[in-house]
Amino acid sequence: MWHELAAALQETLYMVTVSTVFSVLSGFALAVVMVLTCARGLRPNAAVYATLDLLVNLLRSFPFIILMIAIIPLTRFVAGTSIGSTASIVPLTIAATPFAARIMEGSLMEVDAGVVEAARSFGARDLRIVFGVMVPEAMPSIVLNIAVVAINLLGCSAMAGAVGGGGLGDLAVKYGYNRFQTDVMAYSVLALVAVVQVIQGVGTAIYRRMR
Amino acid sequence: MIEADGISKRFGEQEVLRDVSFSVGPGDIFGIVGCSGAGKSTLLRCLNGLEAYDGGSVRVMGREVASMTERELRALRREMGMIFQNFNLMERKNVEENIAWPLEVWKTPRNEIVRRVGDLLDLVGLAEKRTEKIRNLSGGQKQRVGIARALALNPKILLCDEATSALDPKTTLSILELLRDINRRFTVTVLLVTHQMEAVKTACHRVLLLDQGRVTGSGRTEDLFLAPPASLKNLVRDEYAVVPTGINIRLMFPREIARESIITGMARELGIDFSVIGGRLERYRDDILGFLIINVRREDFDRVQRYLGEHRLFWEAPDDVA
Repeated sequence: MWHELAAALQETLYMVTVSTVFSVLSGFALAVVMVLTCARGLRPNAAVYATLDLLVNLLRSFPFIILMIAIIPLTRFVAGTSIGSTASIVPLTIAATPFAARIMEGSLMEVDAGVVEAARSFGARDLRIVFGVMVPEAMPSIVLNIAVVAINLLGCSAMAGAVGGGGLGDLAVKYGYNRFQTDVMAYSVLALVAVVQVIQGVGTAIYRRMR
Repeated sequence: MIEADGISKRFGEQEVLRDVSFSVGPGDIFGIVGCSGAGKSTLLRCLNGLEAYDGGSVRVMGREVASMTERELRALRREMGMIFQNFNLMERKNVEENIAWPLEVWKTPRNEIVRRVGDLLDLVGLAEKRTEKIRNLSGGQKQRVGIARALALNPKILLCDEATSALDPKTTLSILELLRDINRRFTVTVLLVTHQMEAVKTACHRVLLLDQGRVTGSGRTEDLFLAPPASLKNLVRDEYAVVPTGINIRLMFPREIARESIITGMARELGIDFSVIGGRLERYRDDILGFLIINVRREDFDRVQRYLGEHRLFWEAPDDVA
């Protein structure tokens, strides 16, 4: 059992890590565009903002399990298969990207408008303001939000696991639920609890250090 | 240096600036005064293009701001430093990093940045706080960092948006002293937006009064305070009681007269009595100017009026009904 638990933990960490990296990167890019184009942004553009806003809301309204099944053709195209940990990274990333975009948009919006104005007042370019002022100033908050995204993905990865993705969720359902091995289920859940604690702990520690 | 001619600006239905005109010469310390919501800060932002204006013209160093391209605007802003009420410093950078940032934006060579930041730290008296986090500084120290940052690019004009409004009176004076020093030493033209009369009196050569987006007065600081128009009186209301019987006369003393005992002379010459209700001597930059409110009997009013006229005193009877 310990062997299987270790393997499942490894798969879970793999799925969560890779999909967190991808969704944070693409979510960050979306967030930057949204912050630039929103009404009180540096380059207001109602059309671009409204489109992204709608897209983000649309993707976020899908329950993960439905989204995962709906995009199976895409998953197969990207990963070559629709089963296994690697394949599940595709739906995980697509599900978490709009979420990451939205909360990082929030982080960037929280940056004091006065600091942005100060940067404008000595002639900084818009992109320089975004990457030289807004992103660094929002960084502590962004770090906390990355932890939120990762923990959210951990939950989704357990769901993905149940339909062939592997990992701790898969283990809990296969052994614990279907075979009535309560101890396996308990250990899987405990392992998930531990992972959440670690992610949040690291996030909070970095946040504290940055502030 | 700056010529504004008939600027107007609206936010939706609301007119924030209506036909505002003024000009600021090189080396001036120019005050823009009014209560909150008068449009002062918006006006200031029209000068460096942070806000667009709807009508009129703003020429800074001879060039129309509204017709500038994005690139030209940035070049203009390089010549115009700005400081703010809430300092607007980057919390995650330390003192020297905040001051260095404008220099980095304009791609100044590294060794040049180090030298310049060192000079600026000395100028604002924060050399020991070089690596301090912003959040560990007092309000006055934060504004000093703001000033150093605004001066980093050697601007010709310094825009101050309520720069001392968040500070206590003593710190306010030290910041104003610093601004005057900078104005003198580097002949930087300073525009000071404020609602604090103390700031105006301490620092400004000339003043523009703004009320609900309209100019309600302008001129040399001394002149405005000696014979304040109604709009200024609203800002500096006398806190002296009105004696119901006689007539209150407010006498304004320019510097030369302040030393002469004009009032006791009047009592002797005219053989009248009056009561002194209140008065104050104030410091306007380096001059001492004052006013005195006296209460005279109605029957003496004509003679007093004549006497004051002969001695060329500025005076008014604020509550005069006759």
